[in-house]
Amino acid sequence: MSAAVSAIQPLPEQEHPVIALRDLSRSFGAVEALREVSFSIRPGEFVAIMGPSGSGKTTLLNILSCLDRPTGGEYLLDGIPTAQMDEPEQARVRREKIGLVFQQFHLIPYLTALENLMLAQHYHSVADADAALAALERVGLGHRADHRPSQLSGGEQQRVCIARALINEPALILADEPTGNLDEENERVIMDLFRALHREGRTIVLVTHNPAFGNVAERTIRLSHGRLEGRG
Amino acid sequence: MAASDRSRWPMFARLLWRSLTVRAGRVGVALGALAVGAAVVSALLCLYLDIKVKMAEELRAYGANFVVGAPMGGSERGVDQADLQRAVAAVPGERLVGASPVLYGVVRLDQGNAVIAGVDFPGLRRVSPYWQVAGGWIGVSFDERNAMIGRKLAETMEIRLGDTLNVLGEATGERAHLTVKGIIDTGDAEDEQMFVALPLAQRLLGLPGRADFALLSVTVEGAEADALASSIDAAAPGVEARPIRKISESDGVILDKIDGLMAVVAAFILVMTTLCVNATLTAMVAERAPEIGLEKALGAGHRAIVAQFVGETVAIGIVGTLIGLGLGFGLAQILGQAVFGGWVDFRAAVIPVALAASLLTALAAAVVPVRRAVRIAPARVLRGE
Repeated sequence: MSAAVSAIQPLPEQEHPVIALRDLSRSFGAVEALREVSFSIRPGEFVAIMGPSGSGKTTLLNILSCLDRPTGGEYLLDGIPTAQMDEPEQARVRREKIGLVFQQFHLIPYLTALENLMLAQHYHSVADADAALAALERVGLGHRADHRPSQLSGGEQQRVCIARALINEPALILADEPTGNLDEENERVIMDLFRALHREGRTIVLVTHNPAFGNVAERTIRLSHGRLEGRG
Repeated sequence: MAASDRSRWPMFARLLWRSLTVRAGRVGVALGALAVGAAVVSALLCLYLDIKVKMAEELRAYGANFVVGAPMGGSERGVDQADLQRAVAAVPGERLVGASPVLYGVVRLDQGNAVIAGVDFPGLRRVSPYWQVAGGWIGVSFDERNAMIGRKLAETMEIRLGDTLNVLGEATGERAHLTVKGIIDTGDAEDEQMFVALPLAQRLLGLPGRADFALLSVTVEGAEADALASSIDAAAPGVEARPIRKISESDGVILDKIDGLMAVVAAFILVMTTLCVNATLTAMVAERAPEIGLEKALGAGHRAIVAQFVGETVAIGIVGTLIGLGLGFGLAQILGQAVFGGWVDFRAAVIPVALAASLLTALAAAVVPVRRAVRIAPARVLRGE
């Protein structure tokens, strides 16, 4: 562990928010993608971030998932200030604190479903096939463990992606349009899965256009032109 | 699943294997380039390690590279044979290929006058292995019943193998009856001379115990020739040793040029290999950008990305080297046969050198692609940019 990383310590509060944004901004040259966004998300909350195209949802998600850094303001993830982190520190936070679910699934095509989960374990700590298989069974895909992504349907691939996001027990699950590439039936399966995860006490933040998710989520955060519009 | 999965190496090895086998085409190109590089390097290295021996043998075949004779400016003809023997004895035994004293003179044959050379036949044969001889060499130094005769002289005087020659030393009145045992074809002045045993030539010419000079064939390279000449001069004060520059210097010069040429060829091939592997790895990184972006999004740090690419590069390098070593040894045999007419020995030293050269080449080729891989921004590639 590097000295810089070891210096990152959670805040001392007992019940600090999983996400705390204070006046967060992100500019790309003259373009302000996010302007003074502030909100917090408590452990166990299920929050949907919604807004029209160009409202800054993806930029916000990238910052929340430590794939990007804000140009202003503060972002505390599980009590850890992340705004000034360098790339290796961001990578460490991602593997230890965040589970990512993508619209395009992003599974490694030459690895089986099981191995895709083991890959996330490998970068986190040590690959454990038993735990990976249990995670696949948790999303109803134990019988598809040895199948490659090309042998799975879109819904199955997304379930593998969700299992991968869960495999390292992250503090936060971030999902980007998780049903954007799915038909209605698979959309329902995935939404049920997120509901179940929420009931288990997981903290879930998802970016979506889908109003159905707005109904499922406990709270909706709306963005417009890079600003926070209001809270559901 | 097996308990052995509970460590990092099996997953790392599995990733490596899957990643390499799924890109068999590109990996094959890199493997082929490295195998060719390793083949050329190992073939040239085999030749390099063998070439001094082979070249020395080749160059020795072109005759003497030292002449020991009277000091420059001396008034008396020739030198004492005993001084020549001391001079020859001064050459380290392992370096002396052969030596023969030579005494020239003119004698009368039935067909006319001829130049004779009194020599030590066994020594002369070792000094001049390239002479083409019809019939056979005279095997001993004291054979006074046989002679060898140059091709042109034989043609001029219509002398054939087995003919008997009546020889008269005009100055001494000494006579000899000699049978032609061999006809020599050298393409040089020897083709017009007759060769007899030195003691007989000394009697025919009335010069007992004398010789004009001695021809020596010695294994030396470049500047060693002068040092050896000095040591011969010191050991035998009555004579002077002179390297025959055209042979002894060219010995070293040719070896240096061949060494240099091989180094240039090897360097050129390794540079080409580096470029080829670099292009392949760069294409692989571009192709794998989404995969690398995903791995980074999952938390793979720079070290993990570097380890994966270096691991793949080293694996390709090792397999390429093993293939290249086999090909290289075969190539060395072809070159050895073509250039030296002989087989080239396999030297164990070739393995680590070829392996190191291949791995360094592969790793050098991987530097830029790996830097690109490390710089991939996951957010952008995952969005498909």
